[in-house]
Amino acid sequence: MVDILATPFLWVVGTIVLYAIAYWGYGKWIDRNVWRSDAKKATPAHMYMDGVEYFPVSRYVLWGYQFKSVAALGPILGPFIGITFGWIPALIWIIGGNFFIGWLQDYGSMMLSVRKEGRSFGPITYEFTGARGRTNLLAFVLFYLIIISAAFIALIASFWNAFRSTFIATIGILFAGLLCGQLLYRVKMNVFAVTGIGLVLVVASIYLGVLFPLPSAASWPFGVWNLPFWAFIAAIILYLAAILPTPTFIQPTNYLAFYPAYAAIILILVGALATPFTNIKVQMPAGPFLFDPQGILGPIWPILFVAIACGAISGWHSLVSSSSSSKQLDIETDALPVGGGAMLSEGLLALGSLIAYMVLAPSFFVGRTNVTAWVAGAVVLTTPFLGGLTTAVLTTFFGLVLIIYALTVQALVTRFFRLVAAETWSEGRFRVFGNKHVSTVVGLGIPWAFAVSGSWWALWLYFGGANQLLAGLAIMLITIHLARTRAPTRFSLIPGIFMIVTTLAALAWQTATFLYSVYAYLNNDSSWINRNVRPPIQNNKDYILVAVGINAVFVAVGAVLFAVGLSMAVRLFRSYRSSMAERRARAPAAADGGKRES
Amino acid sequence: MTESNDPPKPKGRGGKMKDAAKGVFYGMAAHGHVTAALRTRMYLEHLFMFITLGDMLGVPVIPPYYALKILPYAVPNIKSWKQRVFRERDFTDQVF
Repeated sequence: MVDILATPFLWVVGTIVLYAIAYWGYGKWIDRNVWRSDAKKATPAHMYMDGVEYFPVSRYVLWGYQFKSVAALGPILGPFIGITFGWIPALIWIIGGNFFIGWLQDYGSMMLSVRKEGRSFGPITYEFTGARGRTNLLAFVLFYLIIISAAFIALIASFWNAFRSTFIATIGILFAGLLCGQLLYRVKMNVFAVTGIGLVLVVASIYLGVLFPLPSAASWPFGVWNLPFWAFIAAIILYLAAILPTPTFIQPTNYLAFYPAYAAIILILVGALATPFTNIKVQMPAGPFLFDPQGILGPIWPILFVAIACGAISGWHSLVSSSSSSKQLDIETDALPVGGGAMLSEGLLALGSLIAYMVLAPSFFVGRTNVTAWVAGAVVLTTPFLGGLTTAVLTTFFGLVLIIYALTVQALVTRFFRLVAAETWSEGRFRVFGNKHVSTVVGLGIPWAFAVSGSWWALWLYFGGANQLLAGLAIMLITIHLARTRAPTRFSLIPGIFMIVTTLAALAWQTATFLYSVYAYLNNDSSWINRNVRPPIQNNKDYILVAVGINAVFVAVGAVLFAVGLSMAVRLFRSYRSSMAERRARAPAAADGGKRES
Repeated sequence: MTESNDPPKPKGRGGKMKDAAKGVFYGMAAHGHVTAALRTRMYLEHLFMFITLGDMLGVPVIPPYYALKILPYAVPNIKSWKQRVFRERDFTDQVF
């Protein structure tokens, strides 16, 4: 008998049990007592049914759609940084964050939108905080999208650089997507036949990738410029994805990418549950370490809480919940399985990824530049029951999965950036930025510059900070609505305040780190500066001033994110206070027979 | 897609499970793409309706004679067309 306590098995089971309590216990209780969801109340899907945007969809379909829209690279890579402080704090945050905050935000945003006639966050922010609040949100989202893009482009470049067999496989999948799009929409072939052809092409792409890996980076003409070159290729693909009509490229590619991506999730979770039989043991230290043992990231609070973003809580989800899912919710009581259920399932994905890191040796995490660790962990977990496949095939497969997760999400983000830019600069002096080509080039060019210059974990922490701050702001919107409808607010107010304070502290800490790096440089210590940038700028005396400049830019970005986020938070708190004052001034609750929701 | 209007047949536990599994799979793999395709068609239809029946919303494009000829074919779309055109649209509606 293997030593079951040394394997991650019990932690997986424990987390599943706690998530079940979050859903059937706390979740149902909030649903019944705070939101008072009512299956008989007409939802926007029925009220405004038009068969295009508003139409009722079964909760299973909507759960699948919601899960697919929210699950991406966040829960996979977040734990990589989070495990710095030991895996116990990371696990506690994945469980506790999701239990008290994560699902509540996704579910609450969906319910808020449903109760507000299916409107999304822009109009709701306008209603609660006025025109300036909405402009403020727009500015925040623009910065947020640029930071996400930078982090993702940096990661795609790193993955291609690290797994030489994945580039051909990626290109193969993109071509398969193009071909399937043509077969589906031009030739009008049956969707099952197209899926079959597509899947054969996906497998063939992986096989080709394994068969013909690119030559090792050392033999390349670019030398230290490898990563910027890869990032540039990624930017070109993303440009095409954002500009071409969706049915031509991005839509069929996303459809094909779904299959390997979800196969990987299932394999990892099965691998994590099978650890007592495969005898795979936890190797990483449990922690908790109150400070980063490598002396770079800083204290556990607030860094851990922004490092593990999606999986515990993520602001992106509130946009998804309130944008399309809420318009298709059949009955109000479906919001819990769709919004809350999808988020808790994503917590399991984060758990699976954390376990893939836990079973690796600590040497993988030195310097935090080895972004390939997840793939190594996934191979360790799955090799025992996929014995027929060699490590080379599995590495290509899991590496490819990482890339397609990043590429497909980033394609959506770039498109969204383009639309937001068109909204922001459609008229006036800067209307050239509203042009679709210009805005896409800007929306990829600036992130490219960040991606090739800054270290990826620095970008990741900014991304996490902005993302979690957006989550805090979304929870505040939910709280204001609850205050206005005289429902209990403390279950969302406390998480909202916690998230906003934590993320602002994290953004401030990050900004201060960059500022300190410049300060240290002025005192003849350039080690900090070098830590925050990438090769070829890193450790190159000729480029040291460039590195200082990049640090200065990062200080500015952090300061702007902090300022815009803070002003949005202040607006929301003010709105909350006035809503509470109004609520107290109105007739006592007993007068309306205890019917809180209007 | 929209549910059919036929009265639902009573299903056993197995049938329900099968429906749920099918629904989840469809939702993950295709629902987003289906709604995206519907939305694309919606924008094209808006254009057509604007050109042919624009004077209903105060935007005359072609002479009313032709609009009148097309009217019988356009009637089923008019209500939802007006509803969609007049709806407030925000950048946050376009995430997906």
